[in-house]
Amino acid sequence: MASVALSEAEKVYIVHGVQTRGVRSLRLGTFKEDLRVDGRGCEDYRCVDVETDVVSNTSGSARVKLGHTDILVGVKAEMGTPKLEKPNEGYLEFFVDCSANATPEFEGRGGDDLGTEIANTLYRIFNNKSSVDLKSLCISPREHCWILYVDVLLLECGGNLFDAISIAVKAALFNTRIPRVRVLEDEEGSKDIELSDDPYDCIRLSVENVPCIVTLCKIGYRHVVDATLQEEACSLASLLVSVTSKGVVTCMRKVGKGSLDPESIFEMMETGKRVGKVLHTSLQNILHKEESLGTKRQKVGFLG
Amino acid sequence: MPGDHRRIRGPEESQPPQLYAADEEEAPAARDPTRLRPVYARAGLLSQAKGSAYLEAGGTKVLCAVSGPRQAEGGERGGGPAGAGGEAPAALRGRLLCDFRRAPFAGRRRRAPPGGGEERELALALQEALEPAVRLGRYPRAQLEVSALLLEDGGSALAAALTAAALALADAGVEMYDLVVGCGLSRAPGPAPTWLLDPTRLEEERAAAGLTVALMPVLNQVAGLLGSGEGGPTESWAEAVRLGLEGCQRLYPVLQQCLVRAARRRDAAAPL
Repeated sequence: MASVALSEAEKVYIVHGVQTRGVRSLRLGTFKEDLRVDGRGCEDYRCVDVETDVVSNTSGSARVKLGHTDILVGVKAEMGTPKLEKPNEGYLEFFVDCSANATPEFEGRGGDDLGTEIANTLYRIFNNKSSVDLKSLCISPREHCWILYVDVLLLECGGNLFDAISIAVKAALFNTRIPRVRVLEDEEGSKDIELSDDPYDCIRLSVENVPCIVTLCKIGYRHVVDATLQEEACSLASLLVSVTSKGVVTCMRKVGKGSLDPESIFEMMETGKRVGKVLHTSLQNILHKEESLGTKRQKVGFLG
Repeated sequence: MPGDHRRIRGPEESQPPQLYAADEEEAPAARDPTRLRPVYARAGLLSQAKGSAYLEAGGTKVLCAVSGPRQAEGGERGGGPAGAGGEAPAALRGRLLCDFRRAPFAGRRRRAPPGGGEERELALALQEALEPAVRLGRYPRAQLEVSALLLEDGGSALAAALTAAALALADAGVEMYDLVVGCGLSRAPGPAPTWLLDPTRLEEERAAAGLTVALMPVLNQVAGLLGSGEGGPTESWAEAVRLGLEGCQRLYPVLQQCLVRAARRRDAAAPL
């Protein structure tokens, strides 16, 4: 990840802010003043900007700005052959590109390791039957299916990459429109693929069960959600939890050089579930609102 | 092997005949969910490596070797305030490079050596689990290389590799805070299934979710955690983590004995 130069005093300041107890009022007793550098509480996200349909050549796209983190996701649907072990299903392929714009460390091959790590995490969180209905991506069993190539571009790195990327992937999949295709068979047995004439006749994916990642960074003895680069530099270990809107956990991973106490892991999982549910409801609301605006929607694009 | 020109290459894509076989519904036999397979561990077996370990658990066989510390590649990094206990400042700390490889014949299907994403993910998981245990501050500007080779995959391969890597590091005399013990779990598909400790390959293939936990037993700190699948609500995952941690604690005495035996062997072999 991008490195940030922090002195010991600054680290102590951040850690104390997260952990400090302060006496708010003599009547109400002692309060835990979870105050981060920018005034957020430990479980608050920064302001998230989500916009879909930003790139016209894709089947679906989304752009997410979470503080200083900027992610662009494009989904392209192409026809291909299904995998041998799963002949009735299509599949998703993830590719993450850490652009050199994000931070100078990503120049050349520098960003490859991080890109592979993020792509592998995305494969893991989608690696179960309920996240995306893969059977709906099948055109004819064993022969044709839809392959969704999800390409993630990291434009700017400002901390908390995994969360932003998962939000962007969910928004892009919601926005994806796959054209309806029919495979016609001749008398000789040769197959012909027919695309429907109407450009708006397409299948949409249901993103009800698509999970979102919540990264909980352990700072001192408490944990925070949505850490900035500075806070990530103070944390030794984080837990990455992937939660669906129903509170089902699909992936868990410990990230970082430090170790975690078993009790903290249980607490972090509960916080992750709680925060994840709230994140999902707000994201669904925004996506539905954006869609209902239709052509009246004001496109901000890259100028805003 | 990249660019293998000696062998006559077969067709581009080849599949094993088992894929076309009729579905044999041999469900894995019912068993006690908390049973651990008997483990055979031996340290100090490779002559060319600084430290090495071989671990066998059921059908899973892993061989791990450690080399180093040697000078780290990569430019000079600036200094900073020194840590406690005479350790090097944060920027001069040593590095741990982990490599996880599967033998091509390890699984059911042949996988050519540059295994791609999965091997790199597991190597990263190994590194993240071993770093909390190794005192990298005592090896400034140096790197330790750990390479794990999976000879046969009989279930919970990552857990076995973690344990073998920790044994190899201890055998190499690398300063560590504690050993790292790994344990695998899997959850069978179905309405209300239980988590099974130390699954076999058959149980892992049919599993709806899998989890690997790495624990430092004496310090009781979780060094690594990697899980995915339809595990269900957080309570189910919490129960799985607890079961895994128990399994790791039960495995620890075996590893202690293995290291003691290896030390005795080394003593006996050393010229007086």
